[in-house]
Amino acid sequence: MGIISVEHTGQLYWLGRYSERVYTTLKLFADRFDSMLDLDSDEYEEFCVRQEIPNIYTSKEDFASRYCFDEADPNSIYSNLIRAYDNAIVLREKIGSMALSYIQLAVYAMNKAKESPAPLLELQHVRDNIVAFWGIVDDSVDDEHVRSLIKFGKRVERIDLYARMRMNQHELKREVARLNFRIERTGLSYSRKKLAHINYLVEDAPLSYKELVEEIESLQEC
Amino acid sequence: MELKELSKYSDAVNELLARYGVKFGIYKNHTFKEQLFPFDMIPRVIEQEEFASLERGLKQRVMALNLFIRDIYHEKKIIRDGVVPEEFVYAGSGYLPQCESVLPPQGIYSHISGIDLVQSKDGTWYILEDNLRIPSGASYPMIARDLCRKCSPQTFQKYRIDDNRNYARLLRQTMDHVNTGGHTVILTPGRYNAAYFEHSYLAEQTGAHLVTGSELIVENDYLYFIDYSGKKERVGAVYRRISDEYLDPMNFNEESVIGIPHIYDIYRKGNVALINAPGNGVADDKGIYYFVPKMIQYYLGEEAILKNAPTYLPYYEDDMKYVLEHFDDLVLKDVAEAGGYGVVFGSKMTKEEKEHFLTLLKAEPRRFIAQEVIDFLDIDIVEGNSLVPRKADLRAFVLMAEEPMVWKSGLTRFSRNPDSFIVNSSQGGGFKDTWVLSR
Repeated sequence: MGIISVEHTGQLYWLGRYSERVYTTLKLFADRFDSMLDLDSDEYEEFCVRQEIPNIYTSKEDFASRYCFDEADPNSIYSNLIRAYDNAIVLREKIGSMALSYIQLAVYAMNKAKESPAPLLELQHVRDNIVAFWGIVDDSVDDEHVRSLIKFGKRVERIDLYARMRMNQHELKREVARLNFRIERTGLSYSRKKLAHINYLVEDAPLSYKELVEEIESLQEC
Repeated sequence: MELKELSKYSDAVNELLARYGVKFGIYKNHTFKEQLFPFDMIPRVIEQEEFASLERGLKQRVMALNLFIRDIYHEKKIIRDGVVPEEFVYAGSGYLPQCESVLPPQGIYSHISGIDLVQSKDGTWYILEDNLRIPSGASYPMIARDLCRKCSPQTFQKYRIDDNRNYARLLRQTMDHVNTGGHTVILTPGRYNAAYFEHSYLAEQTGAHLVTGSELIVENDYLYFIDYSGKKERVGAVYRRISDEYLDPMNFNEESVIGIPHIYDIYRKGNVALINAPGNGVADDKGIYYFVPKMIQYYLGEEAILKNAPTYLPYYEDDMKYVLEHFDDLVLKDVAEAGGYGVVFGSKMTKEEKEHFLTLLKAEPRRFIAQEVIDFLDIDIVEGNSLVPRKADLRAFVLMAEEPMVWKSGLTRFSRNPDSFIVNSSQGGGFKDTWVLSR
């Protein structure tokens, strides 16, 4: 196992979180946008409330454009992808040029989608590159500690997003089970009491999504 | 050799270089931007025999430069013997009084030397500049070669070309040779440094840890890396990619926030190696360049194998006279500048600019050198569907471990502007691979 500084530990964790945030919000956005086409509704307002992001959008078209691509909006998928890149770029010697290249490709794909007449099609390439990034981390990063920190960030982010979006309990139970497995491999200190409570919450009915978000956000502060 | 064939892969290889983040950083209007470094597929090709001669000359030069730095910070025999005037040593910003009497591990000062050369139209190679502080650029041809071998394996099968991907091994050997015990790290100022790609790529390729100053601490006369759990790991060699003045706020610039307090104190005690050694700037000053052939003669008792470009020091009365008489034929360089800045061509100045410059030159003759404009050999680059000639230089790398090792490749930089001699990436230049034929 190599040596890892506090700085790199945080960067690996946040690389996991932001890559997951891009991947999952792209999926959530695509599903939501698709349903808005038929219903002619403004479902994006509810989306903003659940995500706890300010509703700065004037219409569903504006939402579709700015939530995906607005560089000036700190909550846009674009901004989250740049944060993933900012963490990845300083981790080349930990994750390798090959893994880093998929985050770089996701940025290029995002820029291409922004200019495309069919952005939803192009955004698929962003997701593909994120998946490839995770795959290469699994396949070629030898240091288990490095892998686990990225995956830990990914699990935390997914539970957070799923809980905010009131995803079904079965999916949350599965993600929490993965978190239990991963957190021990990070070597990080965390609140065992909070983890036990998270496990309890996903078994409880009805599930308290709000409490779950609070607990997962404070499980580990990197 | 039919190299034009390679140009058809140009877009593919440049796309791959973009994918792998082969960029350099640049500040424009106070904003940091990452730019791709344009790569031209047509390599510079150096025949085996020709490179063997360059290799001998480069080794000789770097050995003399190392001896010079050691002498300046210790006995100062070369000054006492009147070979190099002391004004040129002590007035330059590269001389650091803090380095007096300090001997680095294994006595090596310039572990990694970047020597810039140009080839004139008659085939003669001239040294343009010695870079002994933090020369950068080796990573670019290294990664480009890797991609070129993938896109055109038949080319590399047909022609026997020395594999330049061994640079990481040579660098590791160089760092290990002076390591005083513990980990080897590459110290970067951070991702907003112009050469950050190189720092991170060399760390990956050599297996060294890439660190910033905040991750290192001096304690009880040793240097430590602090891991996430607070555990301290000893560090024995630091390939530092930050300049002398920012290295240690307790010994150099006290306002530095990217350095490591007291690292220079433990280096002085021999408890850590700094690569390259602080104080090397005393030998790569543009004014000192003039004296390198004399140094070779003085320390090694040999004639310089590689020539300097014909250079004049306005500091000397005769040279000043020559410079004033031949002003329009010369290129003038401010010794304090780097990166292609502070270089002016006499023939391209307006009357007012010339008057202003001459006033400055007469007031501060030590600040400038003048050189004959060498008519570089043009090298073809791909532009659109055709080949066009452009000015190009070569940065050769010499690494010093048990003995000097010349990397059988180099960074060939070219100007994309047909009217320019300036090849620096910061001024829009591109790069080529450098092939050394092995038969």
